[in-house]
Amino acid sequence: MKKPRNIVYGVDDIPPRGVLLLSGVQHVGLVAIFLLVPVIACRQAGMPPEKIIDVLSLSMLVMAVGPILHALRRGPVGSGYLCPPIFAAAYLPASLLALKAGGLPLMFGMTIFAGAVEIAMSRVLRPLRPFLPPEIAGFVVAMIGVTIGLLGFRHIFGIGLPEQPGAASYMVAAATLALMVGLNVWTVGAPKIFCALIGMVAGYLMAAAAGVLPAADLHRLSAAPIAHLPSIDHLGWSFDAELVVPFVVAAVAASLRAIGDLTICQKTNDADWARPDFGSISGGALANGIGTFLSGILGTIGLNTSTSNVGLAAATGITSRYVAFAVGGIYLTLAFFPKAGTIFAIMPAPVVGATLLFAAALVFVNGLIIITSRMLDSRRIFVIGLSFMLALAADVFQPFFSQLPAGVRVFTSSALVVGTLAALLLNLVFRIGVRRTQTMQVNPAAVDTYQIDEFMQTNGSAWGARREVIERARFNLMQSIELLAESGVTQGMLTVVVRFDEFSLDVLVSYNGAPLELPERRPTNEEIISSYEGQYRLAGFMLRNLADRVQVNNRSGHTTVAFHFDH
Amino acid sequence: MDIQELETGQVTVLAINGRIDSTNAIDLGNKLRALYAQPGRRLLLDLQEIEYISSAGFRTLLIALRRAADTGGRLALCGLTSKVRELFDMGGFLDNFSIKPTRDEGVNSLA
Repeated sequence: MKKPRNIVYGVDDIPPRGVLLLSGVQHVGLVAIFLLVPVIACRQAGMPPEKIIDVLSLSMLVMAVGPILHALRRGPVGSGYLCPPIFAAAYLPASLLALKAGGLPLMFGMTIFAGAVEIAMSRVLRPLRPFLPPEIAGFVVAMIGVTIGLLGFRHIFGIGLPEQPGAASYMVAAATLALMVGLNVWTVGAPKIFCALIGMVAGYLMAAAAGVLPAADLHRLSAAPIAHLPSIDHLGWSFDAELVVPFVVAAVAASLRAIGDLTICQKTNDADWARPDFGSISGGALANGIGTFLSGILGTIGLNTSTSNVGLAAATGITSRYVAFAVGGIYLTLAFFPKAGTIFAIMPAPVVGATLLFAAALVFVNGLIIITSRMLDSRRIFVIGLSFMLALAADVFQPFFSQLPAGVRVFTSSALVVGTLAALLLNLVFRIGVRRTQTMQVNPAAVDTYQIDEFMQTNGSAWGARREVIERARFNLMQSIELLAESGVTQGMLTVVVRFDEFSLDVLVSYNGAPLELPERRPTNEEIISSYEGQYRLAGFMLRNLADRVQVNNRSGHTTVAFHFDH
Repeated sequence: MDIQELETGQVTVLAINGRIDSTNAIDLGNKLRALYAQPGRRLLLDLQEIEYISSAGFRTLLIALRRAADTGGRLALCGLTSKVRELFDMGGFLDNFSIKPTRDEGVNSLA
């Protein structure tokens, strides 16, 4: 793992205490709004405000454990990254169904069930890897960016919120966003790494000055007790088989989101990142499942990883997993001091919107970078393109999707779920007919360079191989054919076999003739200039060095040169 | 391979397009030899549109470099794409040639 230049404190770096604390506050502040998800569910259940404080406190206990579970690296639990979870909006529709059918005990019981599903899924993610290629992980990440961005705009424009914003609210949102982006782009050091926190504080002050803080929120703040030991009287659990499907779909969505978020974490922390590491992703998905299981036990809503936090970590350059312990500590403290927690929970909508937009921009572009790191043939283009269109349609044409039969509707609950399921399904369909081994005959007396180019490009795209690896293999193939043709080692046809799996690309060139010379020492310039022999040795030297491994076999006059490229 | 020749002050710029391999390295070599027939020739090879160069191409460039030194001329390269630069690196040629990022910088270095 190679730390990128823009990362100030990498995943294993231990920042100074002040940085840890402020960074933790920044992360808590960013997603404090999601504490409202269980509050919304409890209000739907008709729970009195004094009991909701208990739910909020217990929810914060879950939020304290979640980031720490994720940051662990020993044993099967944990991704080893700073990836704080939040209460999942994906669980809200299923939870509301449970509330309607059986009240809070059913919601809590089904959340435990969903946690068990996530735990089980985390154990089979590795074998499922061929069905979850990097471009789909990139697509999920990009879609998460879109989802967060739209959520940000919902807060700024007041869509679905009880109070409609006015000009002052728009000004607060614009100024907050401009401050965060400006600090991130044009400053260095503390202003850059705490740009989101500075923006949030400034946003709060501007909202107060502009009269944008709702009176009801201020009342909630004054009514909240300073210190409070949460009661567990309201807890109870039940199960209903009819609710299995919506909770399984939510669990699958949470697992897919974890794959996307942890892919961003890995890519953010490694300048040499090539593909998702499913060992770390499985550990993260397991941590997420345990978190959701615990949510059900402590009477709140299921968790999933927070793309906003992952985006914030990348934007500020503080990706140290030790920040997760600070985040956990802050939530633990807030669990027993509801008034402090309420300050975060009543963050003004324009400030929340600006902060989400700030994180969304980075997440979205990260997704695009992951998608385009792979060569895309027409199959993959349709997988990504059609899935993206379907996901957008689910958001834009909500009334149409809401009229679908209940059995279908559970799969169309959000743009993210629709897009992800479509991508997985299309990827499965388009795997039909893609061969992992391809063969080509080449006449060294009449080399068709266009044919060789086409052969490598077409297969590289069909396999979704990394561009730079295909380029190196293409050079090796062209140079080895040229060398064989020019040096007169063989007169007959050459057979080229190219094999691919996600971890290696092998190019085998077979011919009747003596083995190629692949010297370890570069010939001198004088040797290269003075004879064609020197030029051939240069070609052999470059062939050896461009491949990660080379093997030459000769049996009864038939030679095979095998170039291996790590992928 | 296509070669476009233009004069910029005292510098002759050859903008080469396509691939330089054993099928056309001799043509390029002949062109360079003809140019260096004039003593003191300052030559810039713009490789921005080159997608591939094989050992035959590198040999031709080395011969041109030798000829430039022999005739009191100079040779510089510019516009290497990342993948062509990687080939120069693998072949150990980055230190042999004067390589500039852009055509303007290449011309200035020879002026």
